[in-house]
Amino acid sequence: MSPRLRLIVVLTLGAGSIFFLVSQVARAGPDAQGTGNDACLACHGQPGMVLTLENGEQVPLSIDRDAFAASVHGEQGFACVLCHTDLGDYPHPAFSAASRRDFNLQLYQACRPCHQPEYERTLDSVHERARAAGMSEAAICTDCHGAHDAPRMTNPESGIILPEARTRVAGTCARCHSAIYDKYRDSVHGSALIGEGNPDVPTCIDCHGVHNIEDPTTAAFRLRSPLICARCHTDPERMEPYGLSTQVLNTYVADFHGTTVTLFERLTPDAETNKPVCYDCHGVHDIQSIRDPEQGLLVRENLLARCQRCHPDATANFPDAWLSHYIPSADRAPLVYTVNLFYKILIPGVLGGMALVVALDLTWRVRSRLKRKAGGTEGPAAPSAPPAGEPPASPASTPTTEPPSAPGPMAAPAPAGEPPASTSSTPTMDPAAGPSPDDDASPAEEQEEGHA
Amino acid sequence: MPEPTAGPPAPAPPPERDYIRFDLSQRIEHVILLLTFTTLAITGLAQKFATEPLSESIIRILGGIELTRRIHRLAAIILMAESIYHIVAVLYRIIVRRSRLTMFPVFEDFRHLLQDVLFYLGRRKRKAHLGRFGYAEKVEYFAVVWGTVIMAITGFMMWNPIATARLVPGEFIPAAKAAHGAEAILAVLAILLWHFYNVHIRHLNRSIFTGRLTREEMQHEHPAELAAIDSGGADPLPPQALIRRRQRVFFPIAAVFSAALLFAVYRFVTFEETAITTIPPAETAPIFLPQTPTPLPSPAPFALTRWAGDIEDLLAERCGACHGPAAMGGLELSSYAAALRGGNRGPAVVPGDPDASILVQIQEPGGHPGQLTETEIAGIIAWIRAGAPER
Repeated sequence: MSPRLRLIVVLTLGAGSIFFLVSQVARAGPDAQGTGNDACLACHGQPGMVLTLENGEQVPLSIDRDAFAASVHGEQGFACVLCHTDLGDYPHPAFSAASRRDFNLQLYQACRPCHQPEYERTLDSVHERARAAGMSEAAICTDCHGAHDAPRMTNPESGIILPEARTRVAGTCARCHSAIYDKYRDSVHGSALIGEGNPDVPTCIDCHGVHNIEDPTTAAFRLRSPLICARCHTDPERMEPYGLSTQVLNTYVADFHGTTVTLFERLTPDAETNKPVCYDCHGVHDIQSIRDPEQGLLVRENLLARCQRCHPDATANFPDAWLSHYIPSADRAPLVYTVNLFYKILIPGVLGGMALVVALDLTWRVRSRLKRKAGGTEGPAAPSAPPAGEPPASPASTPTTEPPSAPGPMAAPAPAGEPPASTSSTPTMDPAAGPSPDDDASPAEEQEEGHA
Repeated sequence: MPEPTAGPPAPAPPPERDYIRFDLSQRIEHVILLLTFTTLAITGLAQKFATEPLSESIIRILGGIELTRRIHRLAAIILMAESIYHIVAVLYRIIVRRSRLTMFPVFEDFRHLLQDVLFYLGRRKRKAHLGRFGYAEKVEYFAVVWGTVIMAITGFMMWNPIATARLVPGEFIPAAKAAHGAEAILAVLAILLWHFYNVHIRHLNRSIFTGRLTREEMQHEHPAELAAIDSGGADPLPPQALIRRRQRVFFPIAAVFSAALLFAVYRFVTFEETAITTIPPAETAPIFLPQTPTPLPSPAPFALTRWAGDIEDLLAERCGACHGPAAMGGLELSSYAAALRGGNRGPAVVPGDPDASILVQIQEPGGHPGQLTETEIAGIIAWIRAGAPER
């Protein structure tokens, strides 16, 4: 290999070749871009064309005519020069690349004129940020879509991703994320997608997004992740065939963990909290069915092991502190259900009693005020009541209509254990206090109006 | 339990004198209770109804859910300390002062309630003749006692769920949470309905702040107590010497008792490390791990031991574009014979002599279009040296 590392492709064709080329162009006829694909493929359709780059890496320049024809671009009859806009003439302009990666990074810009919106979204992706940070391997258009063999991804009518593309996506991501793919492949989602082509399970992009793929290691992604899971897991139509509950999000949010995460997400979406999100218990890419006999969370030991990841001291009873996404019922959480039932009776019972007394008192106050207003000319309100300010010893009301009340009120509670000093004082107080309450009543009723 | 009125017995009291209802320590207790209860109610209900817009605003103002929880727990600690003080103060009144237990509910209270209801229904001429604490006040006091006990027990369970689950089934923890929240609703609504009506709306009773009631207020609200005071039957203080003697026994025991309870509160707060403080690891697999071998669109390596199928294919791929039928420079490499014949500059391959072979001369320095790799050139040199066998 030459020490001179800068190599330039200069195809010096002989006169015969030029005639050959010219005749090809004439036969195919120039298309809108000026140069027909047959002209390009006259050279590039032959096997074995290789460009050696500055670092010695080689890039094949041969194009598989059939593969291109089967691609999303080829099937629409696009011209090579539609993308390779600078290569319409021969000899081609000078080109150099330091490495195969450099070669791709230069050429993928060709996608941009037609796919500007997607290109711009990629600028806001974790891949673009990684590349800006110096990781040149981070994916660009052609790494995922391929170049000349780019397959069709969506239904041209509906714009919805094709079922076979959903499966293909996982394999595409696996090219760089193989360790994660291996976990996903064996998960409840991945095994259904890759094995069965199940359209209900998520492929990579359903959770991670397509072009503006977000960094999934940030606090913000973590906080929002339950809503990603909830997109499918609160959809009754999608969950029904599998007998899965759609109450998983609201039961999570109602619990300590979910409440915290939800509030963090709403109030401080970039802040960190160690309260778990769905994947902390269910797994990230290796999500298993809870019914899995080996790894499922319905197996008590598995659930306890999950708890212990954050609660290292947790013991066998502890997992029951979490109601496993069930709404408390007589069957599922009888104790919680009973407590709720108890308070459903206690609260209205207590408050109802209080409200009743308050309402009676209020009614009496309003009525006696109205009566006094209405009967303003007739004098003081209650007919039975003596005029306000009358000394308390009025004998009129003394007749004991309710005898039991007479000794009652003033007999101050004297519980057991009362010291002798007190008991001795009680008898002296009783007769003195005796007459006053009964007679005292009416003025009190009158005057209390003033406070109402 | 509140201390009885300390008014001196006077047979004919002046109409405008004030009656001491609460001493300073009781008023301070009320302020502490008022502040902690309100704090606990606001921070607690905001957590119970965390996803409601109002709660969200409260939590936002308080600086987030973690800070809201910390404020809630701090208020709980203060309330627990206040409760300890209250227990000791009540014990002091019982043991040292031997005051009458005027707050203790007795059968009489039910009769008072019945009398008031009959009065409201027009079946009775006057309201119940209430003493120092009526049924309304007793209901409220014991609602606070009951509520504080329930809240402390269920609060402990939520504060220390791992310790709780060691002793009782795990379901006690969500049950504790349910009870804690429901009890809070009960307490707050009871305060809003019963307490606010009775001491704010019906008659704004300021005595818990001023410590005093006027004679008129006493007549309306505590006629039986007023009568007892007027008749000189109020709780008399035991002789000073007796109090001192009792204090000498009470204070050391109370100090030990308080210290034990405060230690219990300390244990309550620091009982366990419930959870790790770090964020649980999410995906542990390496994120960037390209498949090996990385799929590359590069041509497969050639075996280079003979012309047919080895050298032939390599040269067809790399050189065929120019030195195929196009025979650039007169050189065609599509057959063994053509390669030996060579082009305008001479034979491309001289069997046994790589240096004389134009193919090697051109390729070795590099830079030729359709450049072979170093390995491939080395392979071709070895093949030529071996006599460039055709088969």
